[in-house]
Amino acid sequence: MNRRRWLIKLLLAALAHRTGRTLLLLSVLAMASSLATALGVVSLSMGKRVSEEVRKYGANLVVVPAAARLEVGSGGLNFGAISDPAYLDQGRVEKALASGGLKAERSFHLRGALRMKDADVLVEGVNFADVRRLFPWWQLRGGWPGPGETVVGSDLAQRLKLKAGDTVELTGTAQTLKLKVSGVVVTGGEEDDLFFLALPELQGALGLPGQLTEVRLLVSAEGDTLKDKAAALQPLLPDAKVREVRQIARTSEGLLAKVKLLMTLVTAVVLISAGSSVTGTMSTTVLERSREIGLMKAIGGTRWEVLLIFCGEALLLGVVGGVVGYLLGSGIAVFITRTVFSAAPEFIPWLSAVSLAVSLFLALLGSVGPMISVFKLDPVRSLRGE
Amino acid sequence: MFAAKLLPQLFAFFGIAAVVLRGYPERRRPLAVSVGAGFAVGAAVAFFLFRNFPGSFPFELIRTVVGASFFLFWGIAVTALYRSSERALPDASGRSSRLDAVAAPVIALGAAVTAGALAACRFSGNDAPLGPVPALVLLLVIGALLAAAGFFLEAKLPEALTVSRAGTLGGVVALLLLSSSYLVRLDLFSPLSMKVMKGCHDFVHQFMESVLIPDHLFVRPQIWGYIGILFSKEVGFWGGMVIWFTPFLLVAIAVRFELLPSVGHIRQGAQRRKLLAAAIRQRRMKLIVPLLSLVLMAGAAYRSSFPDVEYWDPKPIPVAADPSGDVFIPRKGGEVDLSDGKLHKYLLKGGAREVRFFVMLTPTGKLTVDLDACAICKPDGYGQGEGSVICYYCKTLIPLETVGKPGGCNPVPVAFSEKPDGVHINGVTLVNAWSTTVQSTGAKKEGGK
Amino acid sequence: MTVPTIQTAGLTKGYGDICALKPLDLQVAEGEWLSVMGHSGSGKSTLMNLVGGLDRPSGGSLSVGGQDLSALSEDGLARFRREFVGIIFQQHHLVPYLSAVENVMLSQYFHSVPDEAEARLALERVGLGHRLKNRPGELSGGEQQRVCIARAIINSPKLLLGDEPTGNLDHKSTVMVLELLKELRAEDRFTVVLVTHNEEVAAWGDRTIYLDDGVLVREERLRS
Repeated sequence: MNRRRWLIKLLLAALAHRTGRTLLLLSVLAMASSLATALGVVSLSMGKRVSEEVRKYGANLVVVPAAARLEVGSGGLNFGAISDPAYLDQGRVEKALASGGLKAERSFHLRGALRMKDADVLVEGVNFADVRRLFPWWQLRGGWPGPGETVVGSDLAQRLKLKAGDTVELTGTAQTLKLKVSGVVVTGGEEDDLFFLALPELQGALGLPGQLTEVRLLVSAEGDTLKDKAAALQPLLPDAKVREVRQIARTSEGLLAKVKLLMTLVTAVVLISAGSSVTGTMSTTVLERSREIGLMKAIGGTRWEVLLIFCGEALLLGVVGGVVGYLLGSGIAVFITRTVFSAAPEFIPWLSAVSLAVSLFLALLGSVGPMISVFKLDPVRSLRGE
Repeated sequence: MFAAKLLPQLFAFFGIAAVVLRGYPERRRPLAVSVGAGFAVGAAVAFFLFRNFPGSFPFELIRTVVGASFFLFWGIAVTALYRSSERALPDASGRSSRLDAVAAPVIALGAAVTAGALAACRFSGNDAPLGPVPALVLLLVIGALLAAAGFFLEAKLPEALTVSRAGTLGGVVALLLLSSSYLVRLDLFSPLSMKVMKGCHDFVHQFMESVLIPDHLFVRPQIWGYIGILFSKEVGFWGGMVIWFTPFLLVAIAVRFELLPSVGHIRQGAQRRKLLAAAIRQRRMKLIVPLLSLVLMAGAAYRSSFPDVEYWDPKPIPVAADPSGDVFIPRKGGEVDLSDGKLHKYLLKGGAREVRFFVMLTPTGKLTVDLDACAICKPDGYGQGEGSVICYYCKTLIPLETVGKPGGCNPVPVAFSEKPDGVHINGVTLVNAWSTTVQSTGAKKEGGK
Repeated sequence: MTVPTIQTAGLTKGYGDICALKPLDLQVAEGEWLSVMGHSGSGKSTLMNLVGGLDRPSGGSLSVGGQDLSALSEDGLARFRREFVGIIFQQHHLVPYLSAVENVMLSQYFHSVPDEAEARLALERVGLGHRLKNRPGELSGGEQQRVCIARAIINSPKLLLGDEPTGNLDHKSTVMVLELLKELRAEDRFTVVLVTHNEEVAAWGDRTIYLDDGVLVREERLRS
């Protein structure tokens, strides 16, 4: 029989002989590597998602009334609040932008509630020309609206059973609008829950001529200069707040950071305790098996050959622990992202290498001490039972 | 600094000495002498060639020799595998020892001569710190020292470490290829992968296109996708890799499947097993040299893909065409001086298209305007090295004298008119030249899109 | 004249201050069966460990099978043990999770390559052909000791050492084991050194030496 095959058979027999201890070691290793995997999956896939959200937002500066709070994000990453009724003056904003010398694409938004039949619906007034330019990810089923027409968010359309060509009646404080639905918009974001109509029409309906709730700016600048631009614009708009979108995304980034920190701490604690429990278990095993080790040496095994057998055991445990840990860790990651971010994580195959490495590292590092005693063990004494 | 540059060649020679001595231990002394002498002869021949044939001929010759040795080794590797698959015991009869009597000195001398020539190539450039005669003397001394070092240090290697015949040749070839990969002009892996790519390309063109028409009934879009893969750069790279490493793997496999000695006639079990174990251990030791050769070959391929040479590659200066479509490059403007013999890159934006081109003064004293792309490769552009420009894609070196001439991997020349104040180029010509060139190279080779 | 299998001159062994073996001159010829008698602590186990290459002498010369053991490295001693010596222990020392045949193969593994067919044959030779797949826990003391003997002889050692091989066995098993050893020796012609405190066991040998407090006190030749 092949030497290597025999060695593996020997290792398996030895591990199977101590089923409880083997399972304990395996679960410790799998636990540690699964946490490392879960940490990796969560931080990688959620980090990517957060930055995607930011990019999706299109604009990189947002001007809102000073009293208002922002609402941003979509899906599971919706951290905003409905804004207080406070408004920006369209004319002043335009003047400020002009005098600030800011080269920016802009889009004006007015958000408000209109009554439809006997329920309130959220309506946003926009300039569709700006929308088409700034938010190219809008997928419109149907056509872009002309005067007297509206676009419905897909979720809302489904709820109200609306489709292109239908007519809706929306009542505001000032007047009632009869609008034809020209299309249904899908963005995968909060837009899916809104009505969109031309800004002047909504201003008319709400009786807020020239008022806005939000201005989105796409400033062609990056990093720090964006911050500078925001700071430069702020004094020109005393009753408004200029914010970077990154700042908004920071909320979700902050949550992610907290989850990551917590997981890192847990992982660190588990890694340390796993390492020490591997050491403990391995030491006991080696102690218990000292006669066996002595015998192997007495019948002609060199110190290295005997060491190889015991290292092989650790290695085998490490590999199995790593594989199990990867599977388990992916599961934990799914659980965490579902509950915290209500989003599905990505499947990241290369993290299996990380998981394997963590498990192997722990298994080998934990057994360094016991292995030294295996190496040094004196066959005469151990056979005599000392 | 220069000594460090010479190190790969010297290391390779030392390795060759050690491998040859280990491969033919029964002739150690004469082999060590012939290895040392061969190195000296190789260096001398190389200097003779440099002196009498200026230009690229000596390099072509050395490169051909190294390449030929590689393909010879391919043959040997296949033979070794075939022999091992015969399931015949390695014969210890006179035939192989008579063959050894010829092969050993031939391999030793051939390898040493080539290694000497490779080391001499280091002294061919203008930056060599020594003239030819002192350099030759230096190389003779180093060669003798290294051969002696190989002779004594090889004896210190563990006795169990043996090499098969094919493994010896493989080690020698791998060391030669490693050595040559450190010399950009002698690099072999890039031309190899280039050849593979072109071959594949031509095959698909000439064979497939005559057989399959694009909307063939049975050829679905996915299949066209697979055919497209045959056009991509990766084919060249991976195909090159396969050719590069396979012979060493073949040798390793041949060793692995070498038959163990027959032990059936030995009655005592322990003795029988001991013989078997020893044979298995010996076989495993024989794998070491082929596996090390694989590592060396990987090093050579890496060296070839990321050569340790810095190229002059200025950032393209954006230019615009005037309303009449004329692109004007002043002879002297800002930091640019067109007549300094360096590559000057420009970027013309015409609509959505960007055209990269360069202007340079060739050593013949003429200005030339060329696209930063050639008619064959993906337009990765050029950089300027010593006495040549290099195509970043296929790593071909184009001598400065021939820049401005069309064909092959030369930069595609563009018509221009030279005026006292500078160079005038027709923007439309430029854009058209770029799009026709890039359409046939850039687009097609990226997955046949 | 053939080289003696074991040859010692002034062999001593001390553990710290305790002198376990006073200078000892001993020769064991090839193929001889030597019994070593003595009370516990008389140095007989020490002698066996030294001869078996398990321990290193403190002084004097020790050569076994023509090899100077004090010149060997730690791993060299291990190689000496696996090729030259077979050891039988009082407590058997079989690996509990391996079957009888696997226990024999473990010895083959360290020696060279495992060979199951040969291990089976060895077990059949010691009369355990029917218990190949049983683990040590499922075997009687006598059977375990026979596995031990199979393991000791599997690598065709020149020297078989027994440290109270029958110490844990009843009379019937003792006789069976010794009978077996005698048969095997007749076939394989190895030298036997048995350490025992049982006169009856010692009587199976060609020669008996008596150790007391590390000193050879008496020597008795039974047959030659």
